[in-house]
Amino acid sequence: MKFLHLNLLWAWLAMLPAFAAADPTAVARLWEKSVVKVEVSRNLYDYYQPWNRRNDRSIKIGLVVGERQIITTAQDLSDRVLVRLQKGGRGKWTNAKVEWVDYHANLAVLTTDDATFWSGLQPAKLNGQAPAEGAALQIIRWREGKLESRSAEFTQFAVRQSELSSISHVQLELSSEIQGAGLGEPVVANSQIVGIVAAQRGRTCKVIPAAFMRTILAARQAGNARGLGYFHFYWQPAENPASLAHLRLPGEPRGVLVINVPERPDAGEQVLQPRDIILEIDGFDVDLQGDYLDPEFGSLMLENLSTRGKWAGDDVKMKIWRDGKPLEVTYRLPKYEFAHSLVPTGVYDQPPDYLIVGGLVFQPLTVPYLQRWGNDWERRAPFRFTYYTGEEATRDQAGIVILSQVLPDAFNLGYQEQRGFAVDKVNGQRVTSLTELRAALQQPKDKFHVFDFVPNESLQRIVLAAGDAEREATQRVLERFGIAEATQITPKAAALK
Amino acid sequence: MFLKNAIVALLIISVINGFATEPERSAIQILTYRQEPDWSAPWRFDAVQRAGGSGFVIKGKRIMTNAHVVSWCRQIIVRKYQDAKPYLATVEYIGHDCDLALLTVADESFFDQLPALDFGELPKVRSTVVTYGYPAGGEEISYTRGVVSRIEMSAYSHIGNRRLLTVQTDAAINPGNSGGPVIQDDRVVGVAFQGIAGLENTGFFIPPPVIQRFLKDVEDKHYDGVPLVGVHFVPLQNPAYRTRLQLPDNNLGTRVDYLRPHSSASNVLQPDDVVLQVGEFPVASDGTILYQSNRVFCALGFQLGQSGDTVPLKIWRAGQEQNVNVKVAASDEDQPEGNQFDVKPRYFFFGGLVFTPLSRDYLGAATRDNTEGSGTDLTYELFYRSLEEPALVREEPVVLSSVLADAVNANFRVRGRVLVDRINGARIEKLADAIHAFETSTNTYDVIEFIKSHQFEALEHTEAVRANTKILKTYGVPRDRQL
Repeated sequence: MKFLHLNLLWAWLAMLPAFAAADPTAVARLWEKSVVKVEVSRNLYDYYQPWNRRNDRSIKIGLVVGERQIITTAQDLSDRVLVRLQKGGRGKWTNAKVEWVDYHANLAVLTTDDATFWSGLQPAKLNGQAPAEGAALQIIRWREGKLESRSAEFTQFAVRQSELSSISHVQLELSSEIQGAGLGEPVVANSQIVGIVAAQRGRTCKVIPAAFMRTILAARQAGNARGLGYFHFYWQPAENPASLAHLRLPGEPRGVLVINVPERPDAGEQVLQPRDIILEIDGFDVDLQGDYLDPEFGSLMLENLSTRGKWAGDDVKMKIWRDGKPLEVTYRLPKYEFAHSLVPTGVYDQPPDYLIVGGLVFQPLTVPYLQRWGNDWERRAPFRFTYYTGEEATRDQAGIVILSQVLPDAFNLGYQEQRGFAVDKVNGQRVTSLTELRAALQQPKDKFHVFDFVPNESLQRIVLAAGDAEREATQRVLERFGIAEATQITPKAAALK
Repeated sequence: MFLKNAIVALLIISVINGFATEPERSAIQILTYRQEPDWSAPWRFDAVQRAGGSGFVIKGKRIMTNAHVVSWCRQIIVRKYQDAKPYLATVEYIGHDCDLALLTVADESFFDQLPALDFGELPKVRSTVVTYGYPAGGEEISYTRGVVSRIEMSAYSHIGNRRLLTVQTDAAINPGNSGGPVIQDDRVVGVAFQGIAGLENTGFFIPPPVIQRFLKDVEDKHYDGVPLVGVHFVPLQNPAYRTRLQLPDNNLGTRVDYLRPHSSASNVLQPDDVVLQVGEFPVASDGTILYQSNRVFCALGFQLGQSGDTVPLKIWRAGQEQNVNVKVAASDEDQPEGNQFDVKPRYFFFGGLVFTPLSRDYLGAATRDNTEGSGTDLTYELFYRSLEEPALVREEPVVLSSVLADAVNANFRVRGRVLVDRINGARIEKLADAIHAFETSTNTYDVIEFIKSHQFEALEHTEAVRANTKILKTYGVPRDRQL
């Protein structure tokens, strides 16, 4: 039945392009049975007062892509309380379930058990091919009860960071007059789905290509979606032929130079070394800029070869040049986990962690915390905190705990103004996570807690009384400042071991 | 009896110093032509700027003014009150840390009929002062009257990394007032020197204790500088901390939080020592001393004397009071972290690559365009590394400031503003190391590695040597080094 149904749809789609191209309204009509509205009610957290949360509602666009399957971007689906769907751009809302969400791929699959919702809807096929340069495209969305279709022009394929993660993969860039896009709106070329819009900056829309979604959905279906992998090393283009000559590479200049190979977060072996020249990855020649020729998308940055049909844990063959000789190595792709970064770029589906002791508030340093300085936090947040975001996690330093503020109480008199320091040791023990902090607080030194901060020019040590006075003070602070819990610590995915 | 003496004294002053009621005669207008180097292209100077300030005549045929008025000057012209004639002046002594300078005038007739102003004491808060000077907005002398608002330690913006005693007044102090005398009862009680943008009715002047110290400092014909102790003192008010240190709850004592790496006190003091008294001044638990009825930060207690002086301290360590002596000394060890003046930026040039030591001035010039993320590694190296990773500190971190394009270096991806880690494998601790690495190289390719990206570039050695003179000429760089 399903087979037949899809075939019919195919035939129907095949007839359309001739007039659809000329008439945007007709294009819209073609998609109104596949495009739905998604409403997400969610908790937003205040990283300055991590015990606080407020409710927020956002509207997104979803695309029916299979039997009882709606795809959309992962954005705004984190910390959700309720997700609902609406078809036809108006009328009744139906409660939905999030079947699967991957913040690194920035994709999510939604469904609903309510059979009536699916009647009248038709799945679209993610069959779109790479558009040609300058191709005329349409961005489709529900707006005020009508299906809106806005024209867009294809600019390029480029390997870009995902919106919610540091994973890079091929994305499509469009130019359009549309405003406020980036909520999962389908991009179509006549009858074909080209991708869904992940973000808009100015006139430029960043689109997740159909091919990328297709591979991920297929892998998910086959039970193979192990998460995206990435290359955990740094390279520089080899545009300076003297550098290649110095490394004794004969022949035409080619390849890129490996410059930094940090510890792997999964403790796996690093098969590359600084000063290796990468000549070939997964069968593709790497040029001086670090690009390879993708059969589908043209010239792309080599980072894409860590996600092109590959998953975390997969092997990627590389031909390299080391010590004046060619060498073949097999690179096993590590899985990208936010918690593996020294300063996690994302914290999803969990309230912010904190620990209050005697009015001192400790938090892990994360990018969401830094974002309370605004969109230009990289310029406005305290320099030292921002600088940590460019540093690597190591076995000795898996994370940073900071004293974020002091809630004033007689107990902490003299420290009320202190804030913004990274913790080095507590009671003589190194502290790189709130769990370690909690453990260190169990072992006061001669009835005192001694907090040593990373050397700075403001304050390097705080001493508090430990024991009953401390517990009473913590309780008093919680009551006075209206805080329910003294600690909020979400267990972490295993980090560097 | 007392009153009578006072009257006599006043009469004597007015007899001896017949012009004392007219300090404006001794207030001097200073016109300068200054030229600063371009720290990111260290062989080059910026355009000549015309600027100005004020000064005043003191004993010994000298003009006192601010260091910042006469820094980087190519020519200094001084003019007397209601006298059109320009006189040429030169800097005799300059103290950048305390923002004071003394000028001499080649034509000594300048001082004819010019009474020298005498110095008074630190004025009282709420007392009235009058500033004399030649601020912007007109040509003639200007007077502003105000009260002394407060007296405390604050940052001297000229050098940028020193905090000294400062008096705040609500008398208007505007650009051009700098260096002018602040007068009370016909005596100089301050030298006007800075304001705070955005704050109204707040001008600042340098008070007599700082001025007198400067004058005494130069008595040996050499300016040493304000002595430093290199210790960070923090308040000690938390009851638990005091209990842990077995200190009575008597509101006394400031805690030693850390010592700078080259602190002259490092063999005497240690973290968690509590300083109870500096010299003659008991220290309160917020780190202040009572100085002439003003609560000011205790660092003042180390700054009143000269470099090399010994300051007796009463400290609390391991539950006991002890008396120790700390030698204080002027230090230029942290000079790169502050603004530098009247020096030629050092650099070395090889194959179009310009290497220069990292400094606050360089950083300011290199990040002036405020490119996102530019300079963060440099900022860390200059201001944080010595605190956090003292073992990795380099004597004089070297920056590849720019790459002047030539066929020999055209393929470099690194275009400058990066810290040099190694050249030909040798760790670069100072500019001399970079020079040595290139000049002794026998390699086909010189390899330069950078912090912290780990990027590297290779340069054909003989080609670079051959091209050097040509590139210097092309870009108008007068010589390949300035050391």
